[in-house]
Amino acid sequence: MDESNDSEIARLLRLKRYEQPPPGYFENFLHEFHRRQRDELLRQPLWRICMERTHEWVFQFNVRSLLSYPAAIAAVLVCAAVVSLKIYQEPETAKVALQNPPTLSAPANAEGGWTLASPVATRIFRTQPLRSFDESSQTHFLNSGTPTRYVLDSVPVSYEPTFTF
Amino acid sequence: MDQPRTDEDQALVNRTQSGDASAFDQLVVRYTPRLYGLVYNMTSNHEDTNDLLQDIFSKAYKAIRGFRGKSSFYTWIHSIAVNMTLNFLKKRGRRFQLSLDDVDASIQNDKEFLELTATSSPVREADLSELQRRLNEAMMKLSDEHRAVVTMFHIQGMPHAEISKILRVSEGTVRSRLFYANRQLQNYLDEFRKNPVS
Repeated sequence: MDESNDSEIARLLRLKRYEQPPPGYFENFLHEFHRRQRDELLRQPLWRICMERTHEWVFQFNVRSLLSYPAAIAAVLVCAAVVSLKIYQEPETAKVALQNPPTLSAPANAEGGWTLASPVATRIFRTQPLRSFDESSQTHFLNSGTPTRYVLDSVPVSYEPTFTF
Repeated sequence: MDQPRTDEDQALVNRTQSGDASAFDQLVVRYTPRLYGLVYNMTSNHEDTNDLLQDIFSKAYKAIRGFRGKSSFYTWIHSIAVNMTLNFLKKRGRRFQLSLDDVDASIQNDKEFLELTATSSPVREADLSELQRRLNEAMMKLSDEHRAVVTMFHIQGMPHAEISKILRVSEGTVRSRLFYANRQLQNYLDEFRKNPVS
C-alpha cells in the first residue's frame, strides 16, 4: 500500500473527530455521573455499604499494619491458653487405666436396667473365669447378708456403696 | 489532540486518594471529551457510549485507591476505557445501530474537509451524511482490536508507544494491526470509488 492511500485514509478518519454528542452533553455529564453514583449507592444492601466503609477506613488508617503485631501476639496467647487448658483437663482415669489395664466384664446391670451408680462402681474387674449365675448366687447372696465384695488379686477395688447421699 | 498533563493529573489523583471527591470530578471533566471520542468511534453509538463512559468513570473511581502511579493516569484511564469497550463489544456482537447524526457543524470550516471535498477523492460525490455512513461502515467492518488501534492512532492522534502501553502489546503489534486495518479500509474505499451510491 502506498503512502498516499494511507494519508487519504488518515485524513478521512480524522474527520470523525467532528462527530460529537448533542450540545450540552459534556456539561451535563458530571451531573449525570453524580446522579448515577447516588442511585447505585441506594441500590446497594446495607451490609455492602458497611463493608465498603470499613474497607475504606482500614485503607485510610492502614489499620492492617498497625494491628499485625498485637494480633500476632494475641493469637499466640490464645493458642497457648487452649493448649494449657487441654493439658490441665486431661482426665485422671485415663492415667489409672494406663497403669493397670484391666479386662472389664459386663456391668452389674447388664440386663439393661438403669442405675444411678457411678461407672467405676458398676464395673467388675475380671480376674477369674466367669461363673454361671447359679454358682455365684450360691456362694454370696444366699449365705451372707453382707453386701457383695469384689476382690482383684486380693486387693479390694472399692468398698463404697454404689449409691450414697 | 490534547496531550496528557501528568503532574496535574497525579496531583488530582493524590487528592482523590486522600478522600477529596471534587478532585475526581476535575479528572472526569478533563477526560470526558477524550474518552467520549475513543469509545464512540469504537461503538458508533451515542447511547452505548454514554452508558459505557459512566461505567468507566465509576470503575475508575472505585479502583483509584489502588492506582500506584506505575503508569500515568492518562494511560491508566485509557486502558480501563479500551478494555471495558472491548468487553462490551464482545457481548454486543455484531448487533449495533449507528447513531451518526451528531456531526459538529464546524466540520464545514475544516481545512482537511474542504480539501477532501474539492479533490477527486470518494468524498467528492458524497454528501456529509453519506461520508459519515461510509466511514463508520468501514470502521465497523474492522475487528474490535483493529478498530481500537485505528481510533487511537488516526482519530485520537496517539503515538504508537502510547497505544502499546494502553493495550499492553508491543509497538510492533500496534504497527502490524494498523497496517492490516489500513489495508482493509483501503479496500472498502476502493469499492466505494467504483460504486459510490451503493
